[in-house]
Parts: sequence; structure tokens; C-alpha cells
Amino acid sequence: MLEKERIPIEEQPGPKSKEELDANKVPFEEYCKRVFDPGNEFEKPAALHGVRWMSCTMYIFTPHAVSNLAELGAEVIKIEMPRMGDPMKHTSPFNECYYYPLHDERPLTGQGIGCVNANVNEYFITMDYHHDDMKEVFYRLVRMSDGLTECYRPGTFDRWKQSYRYLQEINPRFIYVWGGGFGYGPKVFGGSYDILGQAHAGLASITGFHEDFGGHPVKHTNWCIDWYSGTMITVAILAALYWRRKTGLGTMIEFSQVQCATRCCGYGVPLYGRFGIVRQRWGNWDTQLCVHGIIICGKSDYPDAKNPQLRDEARYVMVSAFQDEDFKELCRVIKREDLWQKYQRFKDRVEAEAQVEIYDALEKWAADKSRSEVVKILTEAGLLAMPVYNDKEVYESPHYRERGTIRWQFDPIFGDQLVQSTYSCGLMSKTPRRKFWDFRPVGADNVKIYHEMLGYPISQIEEWYKKGLI
Amino acid sequence: MCDIIWCKKCDTVNYLDPFNFWNWEGKVKCAGCDTVYYIHMIQGHMYRGPEERPGEEPDILPLYADQPNNGYERFKPGTPGKTRPYNCLPREIYLGKADYRKFSIRGYPMRAWAPQPPSAGIAGSHGFKWDIEKLSPEVWQEFLEKKKKGEVKDW
Repeated sequence: MLEKERIPIEEQPGPKSKEELDANKVPFEEYCKRVFDPGNEFEKPAALHGVRWMSCTMYIFTPHAVSNLAELGAEVIKIEMPRMGDPMKHTSPFNECYYYPLHDERPLTGQGIGCVNANVNEYFITMDYHHDDMKEVFYRLVRMSDGLTECYRPGTFDRWKQSYRYLQEINPRFIYVWGGGFGYGPKVFGGSYDILGQAHAGLASITGFHEDFGGHPVKHTNWCIDWYSGTMITVAILAALYWRRKTGLGTMIEFSQVQCATRCCGYGVPLYGRFGIVRQRWGNWDTQLCVHGIIICGKSDYPDAKNPQLRDEARYVMVSAFQDEDFKELCRVIKREDLWQKYQRFKDRVEAEAQVEIYDALEKWAADKSRSEVVKILTEAGLLAMPVYNDKEVYESPHYRERGTIRWQFDPIFGDQLVQSTYSCGLMSKTPRRKFWDFRPVGADNVKIYHEMLGYPISQIEEWYKKGLI
Repeated sequence: MCDIIWCKKCDTVNYLDPFNFWNWEGKVKCAGCDTVYYIHMIQGHMYRGPEERPGEEPDILPLYADQPNNGYERFKPGTPGKTRPYNCLPREIYLGKADYRKFSIRGYPMRAWAPQPPSAGIAGSHGFKWDIEKLSPEVWQEFLEKKKKGEVKDW
């Protein structure tokens, strides 16, 4: 650069001194609000823009694996059964419908709310891909896509000549995902359900209270292993995409849901391996920390509510006071200094017998108080206490609203919708997740994909439709 | 699992869907020949019946019926006078009464009722947007009135 073109530092933009630099620094809180900017995700680029994925999936587990990609910008084509759609649209809760329409030919049938969040931003087409007439169409989509996720019984796609070993011949860069129950091995034809994963992996055996307290092995009310396993598939897909950038080659991912659920069991299996001890359930308490659990209070925060979920259930508080000073303060607040005298050492109060005595004392103290009273008293004493929120309280929480975790969005097809999933998965300053729509009616994008993308004439599409092939 | 009433008069199988009939007592009309049967079901088990009740009015129609010995002649859900429509309404334990909803809890329109006016094009293709003013003008008018009254909120 020539001397005369150089701009003196005084004339360059930006702070001119250390004092000015400090003055220009915004507080970290403001900085975070500015870079994450909840509500303006759509103005930013999408990380996976340019990736195209085929989703031959059903229910929650495998659809969610692909939905993660679509929320991050991938173009996903969900292929459903003609006229019927994903069975998940007809299941939850209790086979009731909250979203209409399903399909013009079935005007009285809607879609259950259970399938929300599992197929976000995807294009919905229908295809009977095991039929010979649709094979070429399927292969054409494979040639134009980066990968596929399916959830059929092992070997089904192979029988239909559309498994990895067939598809890699027509697209060597293709990433193929099978997600299901057990995978190859002694239970190859075992189905896949969330509860099966929780049971088979041993997770349910360590969830809930011990039998000594009247407890039983418990499954989570929601399908947490479906959501969790789906996300783990997404991790595998992202790794496969990175591998392909380096080698130019695709991958086959074989993903057993029950296998994945063992990861949630923490130290249970290594513990058994080392000592032959089977880990037990410990319910709302903790085996490492005490006090660090959930207690029940005597009075509800909503004593007059009609809904029993509010009237009877809004009574639980999470309390944490495991450091010596905190535990001492907790004993003072509940007027049980004798417990502090007895269990001054952390090691003493974490013992099972001690926990039984301590939590019992806490619940006796809370027996004549409401949940909010307990939280108020403990918080004012400098201790950590938090009500166990229900959905209504999550909705009303200012924390979630400010961070954009919970927000209202007008779904283009189904109208007003409260959204919680997409924006709860971590904030990204440059390439955030976003939700354009939740899902679409059966076959909603048939013309867009078959005609506009693949170039088939409308007459051909109408013929397939009449034959029930799409 | 679902119990049935196999009408011997007309050889029609009337299917008793567990959603409605799991714990139920009353009279059902055969979709084939209009014979009225009394049944009492407890936990999905046919405790009493089916007993013919000639001349009495039925309480309910079956959801679906067919004739397996006659080439599976079918009475699909919603056949007038024969079967009930499959509405699959949200239960009364959630809403106070089994009903559709047209507005969310903050007052904005949502598509949660049936039947919806046909809006799909070729092979079931849908446009991107729900054109509410065109497809459901009465809901749009109701929304504008709610807005005027201040019943529409941000949260």
C-alpha cells in the first residue's frame, strides 16, 4: 500500500483510546440480547441451507432426527402414505383431533396434536414407494438428495431395493439412516417404542421412588427417549456430513433406539461391572447431594381451580441446600437445628437413613404452607427453591418469554400456535434455529415436488393420484 | 380391541369402537336393517346384550359396519341414518364440553374444527397460506369483532 493511501489511526472508525473503548463496551446482558435477538431469527442465514434430506419416517423418534436438520435450514421432503399420512397424525392424545384439515378427501378427520415439533419446516408429499411404478421417482429424489432417514423393519427397504447398498450405487455421496428398535442382532424384528427403550435400557428401573416408599419403575409421561434418540441421530448425521466433506463418500447409520437409551442411565452399568451392585431408584432425591430434591407442600397455589392438575398438583417445590452453610440455614428456617447438630458433615446427611429423616422433616414443615409460601421463605433465606412448574406456569414465565423460548406464531396452514420446541434448543448468534411451519396436510406439496422440482407433467401426477400411488 | 354386534337378521357386523363403548349402556341401531339392540358394556366386555328392543329409539349409531359374507359391503363412518360421523372431538374433560375451537387462548384464529371447506388443489396439494378471509369468512368476522372488543391479546 502506498504511504499516501494509509489512513491515520485517529481517522479510522472505532475507539481512539482505552477509555473510549471501555465506554463503548456494552454490558454483557445487552450484548447477548443484541447478538441473539430472539424473534429475528429469520433475518439470519441458516447453517444447513443447501442440504436436502428425504424423510421416510413415522411417529416421533426418526421424524425428530430430520426435523432438527430442517430447523437448521435443510430442505426436507417428508414422504407419507397416500391419503393417510404419518400415523402419528392419528394418535395423540387419546385419538382426538386438534388440527384440520388432514386431507380434502377426509373432511371430518383432523390431525392429533402429538405430532407437533417432529416435522418442522418440511415439505409433505405422498408416495407408495414400494410400488414398482414409483421406483424411478424415488430414485430420482435420491439422486438429488444428500440423505434419507427411514424407520421400517430392518431389511424392508432392502427388499424394496432402496436400502443403502442399492442407493449408494446411484449416489455414492448418499447418507442413509435407519432408526428403529433393536437393530441387527437377536431381536432384529423387535419394534420400537419410547417406552420399550426406557424399559429395555434399564432407564425405567431407576426412575421413580423406591418400593420402600411405595414407588414403582416409572416411564416419563412424554416420549423423552424418542426425542433424545432422534437428536442423537442428528448428531450422527452432522458427523457423516462432515466426513463426506473430507472423503466425498456417504455413510450408513444404523441406530437402535433401545441401545441409545442406555446412555441416559449414567453410571448404572459401570457400577454393576465394578461391584456387581444393581443401582436403585431414588425418586425425587439425589444420591450425591442432600438436600437437593423435590418436596411436597400441604396447600396448592390454586385451591379454587377446577382443573385438578392445578388444584391438587401445584404443590411441589425443588429445594437445594447441600452446602454446610446452606443446610444449617435450612435447619434454622424449619426450626430443626437438631438436624444440623446431627448431620453437620455432608457425608453424613447424604446417607440414605439421613435423607429419609431430613426430607420427612422438610415436608412436615411445609405441610401447612402453600408452594409459593415455601419458595418465598426459602428464597428470602438465601436458599435455592423453585416451584415445579406446570405448562400454564411455563407459558407465563417471564424467563422463557424474554429469551423467546415460548412464543406465539401464526402457522401458515393451521393458524395460531404456541411454540416451544424450536427455540428451546440453544441460541446461536449467527445461524439460529427457526420455525416456518410445524407440519403440513397430507400431500400438501405434491405438485411442488413432483411437478416443479422433478418436472413430471400434471397429467402424470393426477394419474398417480387416481391410482392411489401418491 | 373392539366388540361387535353381529346382526343375524341382515348379517351385518356393527363395530363398537372402544372410544365410545368401553363403559357404556344403551341402545344401538344396526346399520344394516335398523334393528335396535340394547347392550351394557363394562371395561370393554359385553356384560349384557345384545338384546332386541323393537319399537324403541336408539341412543347412538355404530361408527362403522360391514357385511363380511356379502363381499364386505361397507357402511363408512358418516353414512346418514346408518353410522355416526368420525369427528374425533376433544373430550369434555379438556374443554368442559366436547367441541371444536376456532380461537386460541389469546383470541387469534386457529384451524381446529371440521369440516373444513375444500382448499386443496391437484393431488391434495395445499397452498402455503390459510386464506382465512376467503375460506372461513365467518371466523374472520368473529375475529375482527373480538379484536374490536379487546378480546385479542399478545399473550
